[in-house]
Formats: sequence, C-alpha cells, structure tokens
Amino acid sequence: MKNNFFKRQWIVPYLFLAPALLATIAFKLYPIFIGLWESLIYTSFGGGVEKRLFVWFENYQYLFDDPLFWQSLKITSILTVIINPFQISLSLGLALLLMRKSRFIRVIRSLYLLPIGVALPIATVVWGLMLDPYQGLANGFLGLFGIPPQPFLISEHQALWSIIAIATWKGVAFWMLFLLAGMEEIPTQYYEAAKIDGARTFEKFRFITLPLLKRTILFVFVADTATNFVLMVPMIILTKGGPMQSTNVLAFEAYRSGFYYQDWGRSLSIISILTIISLIVIGLQLLFLGENKEDKVK
Amino acid sequence: MIKKIISFFSVFLLFASVSFSAKAAEKIALVIGTWAEEPLTPFVEKFTAETGIEVDIQTFPFRDLLATLEVRGNAKADDVDVVFVDAPLVPSYAVRGMIASMDSYFSDTNVNEIFAPAGIAAASWNGEMYAPPLNNSGQILYYNKDLLAKAGCAEPSAIESERITWAEVVDCAKKINDEGSGTWGMIFDQISRYYQLQALPESLGGGSGVCEGGLSVKGCLTNDGWMKAAQWYYDIHNTWNVAPKGANPDQTHEMFGAGKIGMFIGGSWNVGRWKDSDLSFGLALHPYFDGGDVVTGCNSWHMGVWNYSKHKDASAKLVRYLTASPEVALAYVDKHNSLPAHMSGVLHVAEDPKFNNFPDTAMKLATYESANHCATRGRTPGFLEFEEIVNTSFEDIRNGGDPASVMQSAESRIEQAMRRYK
Repeated sequence: MKNNFFKRQWIVPYLFLAPALLATIAFKLYPIFIGLWESLIYTSFGGGVEKRLFVWFENYQYLFDDPLFWQSLKITSILTVIINPFQISLSLGLALLLMRKSRFIRVIRSLYLLPIGVALPIATVVWGLMLDPYQGLANGFLGLFGIPPQPFLISEHQALWSIIAIATWKGVAFWMLFLLAGMEEIPTQYYEAAKIDGARTFEKFRFITLPLLKRTILFVFVADTATNFVLMVPMIILTKGGPMQSTNVLAFEAYRSGFYYQDWGRSLSIISILTIISLIVIGLQLLFLGENKEDKVK
Repeated sequence: MIKKIISFFSVFLLFASVSFSAKAAEKIALVIGTWAEEPLTPFVEKFTAETGIEVDIQTFPFRDLLATLEVRGNAKADDVDVVFVDAPLVPSYAVRGMIASMDSYFSDTNVNEIFAPAGIAAASWNGEMYAPPLNNSGQILYYNKDLLAKAGCAEPSAIESERITWAEVVDCAKKINDEGSGTWGMIFDQISRYYQLQALPESLGGGSGVCEGGLSVKGCLTNDGWMKAAQWYYDIHNTWNVAPKGANPDQTHEMFGAGKIGMFIGGSWNVGRWKDSDLSFGLALHPYFDGGDVVTGCNSWHMGVWNYSKHKDASAKLVRYLTASPEVALAYVDKHNSLPAHMSGVLHVAEDPKFNNFPDTAMKLATYESANHCATRGRTPGFLEFEEIVNTSFEDIRNGGDPASVMQSAESRIEQAMRRYK
C-alpha cells in the first residue's frame, strides 16, 4: 500500500510544494480575495443603525469622483517614477564603489550597511528631528555653506523630496547588498580577458558587469518597486499626507480611510486599485527588463 | 467498582470547578490615556479591593488611543471593557454601537446633582447618557513676564472687563519676536487642533463648523467667521510671522518653558509643568476678537462601557466609581490640574482658598472660562472624520496653504465622509 502510494510519482512534487502553496493561499490569495470582496461592501450608519450593503462597484465610483483620490494617484505616480530608478542607480553606484579592493573595504561596507539595522519608524523620527526647520541639524549644516534655512517637511514643494531622501537613506544599502552579491558572482576571468583586450573601466561595466547583473537588477527593481508602492511610515509619522496633500500617496490614503475613518469600503477599494497598478507596473518591468530568448540561448 | 470511582471523581471535579470559578475574580480591561494612569491607578486599586473585580489598566498615548479604539471597535473585540472617550466622540461611538448606554446604571441617582450640566450634555446622544465625564477643561493665556517687559507690552489681565483681544496679542507678539534668539511672540498649546482653534471662528460668529443636525458641514465650515479665522491663523504664521511653523503639540509647552515663547494659549493642566520652575510667568483670560464673542475650548475625557464587553455590569461599576466619586474628582484636580466635571470638584475649586494663590489661580481662571464661555465641539456622529480633516486643514494653512481653498476642500471632503451617517 505504502509502496503503491509513492509509486504514483506525479504526486511527489505536489507534496513537496503543498506547504508553500497552502501558505500562499492562506496568507496571500485569501487576503486579496477578502480585500476585493470587502471593497464591494458599503457600511452605513444612517438612522443610528449599522448596515452592511453589497453595492457592487459603488465604492469605486465614489473614489473616481473624488479629487483627493486622483491627487493621491498623482503623488504615487511621481514617487514611483522618481524613487525607484533613483534608489537603484544609487545602489548600483555604491555597489561598484564597494567592489574596489581596499584594505578597509570590509569596514567601509559595514558602515554603509548600518541603516539596514535601524527600524524605519526610528529612522523616520530621527530624520524628522534633523529636518526640523528651526532646530534641525540639516539647516545648521546648510548654514555652514551660506544656504538659508529650508522648510523641508512643512513645505508642499519639499516634503515629498524629503521623504524620498529618508526612504533612500534607509533602503539604498539594502538593495546594494543584492547587487554586491550579484557582482561577486561574476567570474573575474571576464574582467581579466577584457583588460588584455584593452577595455577601459566604463566598457567593462557596460559589456560585462551590466549584462551579467541583469537578473539581479531585475529582482531588485521589482522588489524595490513593490516596497515603495506601500511606503507610508514617513507619511504616518511626519507629514500625515500633507502639507496640502503633497505626500498623500495611495497607501497612506487607504490607511487613513481604514484606520482613521473606519471606512473600509473606501480603504479596500484603494488597496485593490493599488494592487492592480503594482501588478501592471511590475509586469511591464518584467516584460522590458526580463531575459529574452536570445539571452537564454547564450 | 470502577463506575463508582469514576462517578466520585466526576462529582468532585464538578464541585471543584464550580468553587474555583466562584472564587476566581472577575477581570476587566480598562483602556485609558497614558496621562491618566498616575491619578487613576490608586482608585482603580481601591475599587478592586472593595469589589473584588480585577482591572487590567492598558494605557496609550493620545494619538494611539483613538486609533486603538477604532481598530478594536471594527473587530467588535470583546477584550476591552471600559474605555476613555473624548467628549465630542460620544455621538460617533454611540451611533456606531461601540459604547453602551449608561442610563440604567445611573437610574437610582440624579445625574444632575453629580455632574456639571456641560459634562452631561457632552456625555449624551439622543437623550441617553453614554459616557459620564471624568473631567473638564478650560483654556487660558500664559505669558512670559520677562519677554513682555523687554518688549514693552502691558501684562494681559485676568479681569473680565480688561480681557485682551487677539489684535492686542498679535501687536505684542510682533514686538517679542526675535529671529536671532529663536524667540516667538505666541503659540497655541495644541497647534492646529480643532479643540483649541474652534474658539477663533466661534469668536467671529462662525459657529462650530458643523451644521444643525450634525450630518452636514455645507456652508458651516466656509462661512464668514471660519474664513476670517482661517485667514488670521494663516497670518500669524505667514504674514506677521509671530508664531512658529514646524513645532508640534508635544513641543509647544517645552518651548514656553524654555523661555522662547512670549504668550502661550493653553489648558490649566500646563501650570503643573512650570509652577516649580524658574520661569517667570503670569496668567490671564483667554483672548477674543474685538467686537466678537468670548469663546474658549472646553470638555475633556469621559468614560464608557464597551458595547462588546462580556462584563458590562462590572464595567459599569468601575465607570460609576471613577466618574461619580468625589474623591476621584478632587484627586484629578489636585494632581493633574484638570478641571473637574463632578460638582464636588467644581465647588472645591470655587471654595478652597489655595486656588486664590498664584499659580493655582490657573484652575480658577480656567473654571471661569469653561463655565461662562465654553464652546462645545461640533456634535456629529462623523466627528472622527470631521476633526481629522479640520486639523490637517489648519496645519496646511499654518504651512502656507491658501486659507480659502483649504477650507473649501475640507468642507467637500467632510461632506463626502458624512454620507455614511445620513
């Protein structure tokens, strides 16, 4: 009996996959399904009685008529377009610098990795103090160069940039770690051969490092994009989406609708839209940056 | 034989479990603000000693307290029994079924003899009392004597006929302002919060911002009084630049305590921070707009029984013990410098001679303001949304947003949020 069971070899891989599949269903697909379902529910307290009504896409319709939603979508788009390429370029640059041979390279690498060990809420609070327009360290530092005090987080023109800076300080070392590992994997013979052929530093980067790092970069790009789509800790702690909604990203608007106003229909509608946008953007990244058939043949 | 042994043990276990459950104390969870832990804990312990009901005190900072209650309410969680309720949130919690009516638990007494009328009004919705008041609040003007003298300003008065106007406050603040030393003319204790800033539009005849019936703000948040108040708030931070941007409500009292602020508009509880310090400060009545009404913020924290609690009777006992006991009211006055909602506390402040001596006069001044010029916050089941949007709008105005467009936007956002209650 026992032997017969394991003779059915087709079942074996499924058995191995089962724990991961069950976890994916329980912790990923089920919450997404519940979120989508609840986004079709409208909770009313009219007449002092709580009523849960199935309203099809009415929550979405309200959302599309709401200028605040479009403002949030605009801010999210700006943030996504700027922060992801910026963080990855910076991570790549840092990884290249830290690949250089030096006696103190391990110490220098450890120093760059320090922000990873600081929790984002703590980093946010510390940065909030440093960016205080009157008593913050940042304006004191700028003053050394004769630059007048900047409003940073209390200016609608600087708040988003300040948050991008905070998130980048926190995240860039983390993403650099993956790129560094990817670079370490590239066989040194390629660089030696290129050197013999007379390749210069940029050419080695362009024709060896970049192509062989493509898969790592793709992973980092996708993971970074997904992370930044739900970036909202600095907004919760420092700006509350302001000034003038200038940092009110979709993730924060969903959080505010749910946890401040208990309007879960609106909150989950936003989350559903954000999920769809994330999937589209990540799909496009995979499409344009993913390996093509020619790469695989090689 | 085996059957007999089993029967004997079954009966023994049954009795044992019954007697154990009879002896096990009932335990309830009390959710309060961190600032109330110290004054309330001795009385909670006394309550446990007297009733045998154990109380697990869970404390949260101001910002987290409301969010915690919302999350627990949405989950209809039964692990909470007694909760702190911010006075204006009584209608919201009542309509959403988060707190239980307390009428039946106070039916054997006349609540009008226990609590001051404003407290009972704030505790009630649709004629039922949901959350009896624990304390009250009142706003006064604190000023730094040295900074005012240096600027050549006359000290504001604590006499009604000589009450200072906002125009006079700004005039003096301009003289105090000193960018070089980081000294500012004035500041509000609870910057950009509706609780304190409601006094501005109210003084200009703008009302609470919530229309009658509590289900709309259309035209009530953008009327002349509100628009003028919003413009004035913009001016003190941007045009006249006499009040700082950036500082948050946790920093304002520290700034005044450090001698960096000329005039500080705040609650009576602040006096405890400075009474033993070297700061040379004085107390005056709350300012008002010339030709307008005299209005100040009031009401404070109430206590309610969580509607999903499995221990409602025990919870109601605790609520009644903490809110209706004169002993607790007096301790709250003496230890926390908070105004009482209990009549015995009100009498205590009026009659005890110690409140005639500076700086305890803060309690007397704040009681006077609260009793005579209290502006109850807008009564609406959508207060949670209303307050958050108004607060962020004031903050946007402070940071340089155009007052008219900010208030228009706030009105339409609140109006949309209110649809759930219509």
